[in-house]
Amino acid sequence: MAKLVLELTSVTKTFPGVVANDDISLTITEGSIHAICGENGAGKSTLMKTLYGLHQPDAGSIKVRGETVRIDGPGRAVALGIGMVHQHFMLIPRLSVMENIILGYEGARLGILDYQRAQREISELCARYGFKLDPARLVSQLSVGEQQRVEILKVLFRGADILILDEPTAVLVPQEVRDLFRNLRELKTQGKTIIFISHKLDEVMEIADRITVLRRGKTIGTVEVKDTNQRQLAEMMVGRPVFMELNRDEREPGPVMLEVRDLRVQGEAGHQALSGLSLQIRAGEVYGIAGVEGNGQTELVNAIIGQQPIQAGVIRMKDQSVVGRRTREIRQLGVAYIPEDRHAQGLVLGMSIWENSVLGYHLDRQFRNGCIQNREAARRYAEELIEHFDVRTSSAEIPALALSGGNQQKVILAREFTPDPDLIVASQPTRGLDVGAAEFVRQQILAMRDRGKAVLLVSADLEEILSLSDRIGVIYGGRIVAEVPGKEATADQLGLYMTGSKPGKEAATP
Amino acid sequence: MFMAQLLASAFRMATPILFTSLGAIYSERSGVVNIGLEGMMIVGTFWGAYGAYNYGPLWGVVFAIVAGMTLALIHALVSVTFKVDQIISGTALNILAAGLSRFFCLVIFTMATTSPTVKGFTTWNLPLLSRIPWLKPMVTNLSPLIVVALVLVPVSAFVLNRTVFGLRLRSVGENPLAADTLGVNVTAMRYAGVLISGALAGMGGVYMAMEHTGMYLEGMTGGRGFIALAAMIFGNWTPTGALVASLLFGLAGAITIRVQIPGIPYQFIQMLPYALTIAVLAGVVRKATPPAAAGQPYERGEK
Amino acid sequence: MKLLRNRERLIQLFTPLGAVLAAFLVGALIILILGKNPLTVYARMLSYSFGRVDSIAIIMYRATPLIFTGLAVALSFKIGLFNIGVEGQYRMGVLTAAVAGFAIRGIPAFIHIPLAILAGALGGLLWGLLPILLKLKRGVHEVITTIMTNYIGLNLIHYLLTGPLLDRNQVTGFGGKIMRTPFIAESAQMPKLHGLFSLFSIKLPGYIYLNWFFVIAIILCILVYYLIERTTFGYEVRAVAGNPTAAQTAGINVRSIYLKVFLMSAGIAGLAGLSELMGYYRHMEVSFPSGYGFLGIAVALLGKNSPFGVIIAALLFGFLARGAEGIQILADVPSEVITILQGVIILSIVVAYELVNRYIRIQRKKEAA
Repeated sequence: MAKLVLELTSVTKTFPGVVANDDISLTITEGSIHAICGENGAGKSTLMKTLYGLHQPDAGSIKVRGETVRIDGPGRAVALGIGMVHQHFMLIPRLSVMENIILGYEGARLGILDYQRAQREISELCARYGFKLDPARLVSQLSVGEQQRVEILKVLFRGADILILDEPTAVLVPQEVRDLFRNLRELKTQGKTIIFISHKLDEVMEIADRITVLRRGKTIGTVEVKDTNQRQLAEMMVGRPVFMELNRDEREPGPVMLEVRDLRVQGEAGHQALSGLSLQIRAGEVYGIAGVEGNGQTELVNAIIGQQPIQAGVIRMKDQSVVGRRTREIRQLGVAYIPEDRHAQGLVLGMSIWENSVLGYHLDRQFRNGCIQNREAARRYAEELIEHFDVRTSSAEIPALALSGGNQQKVILAREFTPDPDLIVASQPTRGLDVGAAEFVRQQILAMRDRGKAVLLVSADLEEILSLSDRIGVIYGGRIVAEVPGKEATADQLGLYMTGSKPGKEAATP
Repeated sequence: MFMAQLLASAFRMATPILFTSLGAIYSERSGVVNIGLEGMMIVGTFWGAYGAYNYGPLWGVVFAIVAGMTLALIHALVSVTFKVDQIISGTALNILAAGLSRFFCLVIFTMATTSPTVKGFTTWNLPLLSRIPWLKPMVTNLSPLIVVALVLVPVSAFVLNRTVFGLRLRSVGENPLAADTLGVNVTAMRYAGVLISGALAGMGGVYMAMEHTGMYLEGMTGGRGFIALAAMIFGNWTPTGALVASLLFGLAGAITIRVQIPGIPYQFIQMLPYALTIAVLAGVVRKATPPAAAGQPYERGEK
Repeated sequence: MKLLRNRERLIQLFTPLGAVLAAFLVGALIILILGKNPLTVYARMLSYSFGRVDSIAIIMYRATPLIFTGLAVALSFKIGLFNIGVEGQYRMGVLTAAVAGFAIRGIPAFIHIPLAILAGALGGLLWGLLPILLKLKRGVHEVITTIMTNYIGLNLIHYLLTGPLLDRNQVTGFGGKIMRTPFIAESAQMPKLHGLFSLFSIKLPGYIYLNWFFVIAIILCILVYYLIERTTFGYEVRAVAGNPTAAQTAGINVRSIYLKVFLMSAGIAGLAGLSELMGYYRHMEVSFPSGYGFLGIAVALLGKNSPFGVIIAALLFGFLARGAEGIQILADVPSEVITILQGVIILSIVVAYELVNRYIRIQRKKEAA
């Protein structure tokens, strides 16, 4: 029987307003890959930060190799042999791989760096664990997968034998995921313990030995991979049988409202973000885009709303081309937009609610007299929106930052839906919202569909896509690789397309 | 012979710029933009002259370094500890330095704008080289500070690229969050970068007062702190680059004094460093790559 | 909750006062070092500044350029840009206005004065054009470019004043020619405010140079306030200032807002030296007063980027300048103490704001918990 390398007993951590970790207990065996699963906000990250010394637990105890310890900082964690690979890489692009690895742990004599020794040690590490990496290259020249390897090497270089990987596959393409898994298995055979945080069940099933599921800060249970299946895990994660039916009338879709054909867009990093994407959305239907993040969703949305120059292709709205048009003109054609990040893109947090509720519509005749703003009209309008969408606030004068996340999203929905748009582009509309607010947002989207609007829904939440969409397009590598009617789609089937492991036939011949 | 004299003059004019731009590199590489270099040079000129006047040239240098570092300490305190906008802090320091120098000049020397003349270091003649006639202006009557400035170039390159200190300094200027998670003390590194820049700007100042003019004159830096920033940018934030840029700018200065170019007013030659810097930044000459986190205060994230 | 908000507002209101107070404490320390009693020195300063009406008029005259530069800096701060080039822009404005003043002759004052003002604004605007274009087209940080254009302008003006624009017909005294432009025409001189004051039966002596530019500065502040707070353009400016990404997403042309506001800032900066040009010097010269651009940064910070705050802060700085003369004459304290105070005010004000913001953040967190 392998010995326990990590034991958590009744670990609790509260933040103002939330219990992030509530009485969590779990044990991790040496030399195993242990996955921690849960939805966004389940408390996975908090727990790992506690392990890495970035938070102090309010209650509970942690034992490392049988000894009770207090991990009061990352330095302590490193000394205990715990290493963390952050989801967002902590790398310095302008430095070399080697410099990134040794930084803070240079082991130099007289303050002078010994590059040769460092290079030798890193090469040895690479050889031992089967990592392919040239220590002399600049990190800025590496692919995402290679950068992740640098992160792992950083941890190994510091002598860690417990590695925490926070959502390590979120940023990887499937090929890179396979490489990562190969590396992880190699690490495991050499005796390292790996804690693998993820909400992607297929990956967890593939790589982990044992899985602990968290939900709303609590441990739901720990299961052996060989004794479980994806459906059971999903139910543990969500807390109810998944894929429950949302009340939805079947409708005959109307005319095509949005047509995208052979769209090619270059991404920020210079890669081909969209490589010939085509889709059509009709009035009265929700078209869901399913896909692993980073496969071109952001670029697609930005191209439609005029925030992204395109290389080639057609975007037509109600038979009018919108390519090359300004965002303002496109919005005037009747496009509503629920942005992915409401703080960054949706609201001016320092402005009042009424000012936010006319943002983008502030040049409408009703809100101005010539070039003077009609503040009274805007205020009255905002009060109507507050009433209709049940925004919880004492007045329209208070700044948007004083609202809760759900109420902020309601302000955006109210602003975007009230002018009676024809096309709604909704990007991650329920991200970070609590259950009640998310349900409200979903209902509003369906209500718009029932009123004959076309809806483009982009979401990382497969369940959301499945329950809202009339048709689902799977995006992979900047193309729609499969299109499935919403009724017939299953998570398993979509998952296969999303990871590119099953080439879509449906979309191959349009 | 004339060329050698011109070059010698260029070296002399480049030295204060070189000192200060080396300082600027330390500060910016640690992620702190230092607009206050002009002010740090100013206090360097005054206190350098004061120290040299009362205690001799070596003390002149010491006083200038301490004065520059004192101002730098304020900059670090305001912009690193209090995380106030670095540009604002630097601008305030420039105003402060001008006022302080005038004030102390009046109080100490009873004149607002000049100090009495001060004696600089005994000049050096480089052995061997000074026998070559055409090289003579370059290698005789050399201020030791010029030699120090030139030596500081490879020293700085070594410190930045080959030492633990340099690696950590660069890392906090590029990605303080990453450096912090790896146990690098961001605040300490930034203080170090800013303080070194103050010391070097002070040396640039004392060179001007003690070695170049032989006295403190109000406004004698004449924007060289800003030219030093320009030299740093032009030299792409590297010591060797700063040397080349400083020499180029020094040459422009020397030409305006020594050469009459028909048809080109000297003011236009004086504009050259500034115009070139804009051209570099605009990518007309080549790509400028400032440290990624320069100008951004670092706040450790909560939660 | 409401009580807390009110307390926050009160604290925020008193922050600038606290910072000024801190600066005066530093000043007191320096005066102590000189072996003088700070209280009597400050008392002298106050009585000298506010003892007579003409002294108050001098304060207003001193404040006039600072209202313009303060407003110019505040406008650029508003959208998150840092116009360090105000210094160069106002000098360029003085030059172009001077040219319009002396080169054109024989037109009535009611045309000539506006023309000269327009020329000043254009000069400033022109000098702000390159930095903002480089910022928008190539992402070059405006701080560095404006520093560089300041020095380019300095050299260009020096060249023009010693060459093409030099007044060659000037009657030379002992020191030889002054490097200056010809005098501006009488029709381009700004009338003094003596007439306005006499309406209130206040008689200002002839050595007071307070002129209508003070009134123009005040009106401009009101206009800018109205523009930012009441118009659709101002709404877009505030949206861009608050969150450029959200503004862009909402279809606002963010780059155009940046361009317009920065050029407005530069244009206003171009007016800063005109009170002295058209009301006192009547020519541009190499030693024309400098530093208003940098002090404008202090004024904008102290005035919290609000047009009315800028007026108050500029008047405070005018008072400091006037008081500096007072303590030099009456108390034998070098007037440079005041320059030091100006520097200290900037530092203490920004640190004070930061501390207050931190305090409020902590309070809010406590409240949320």
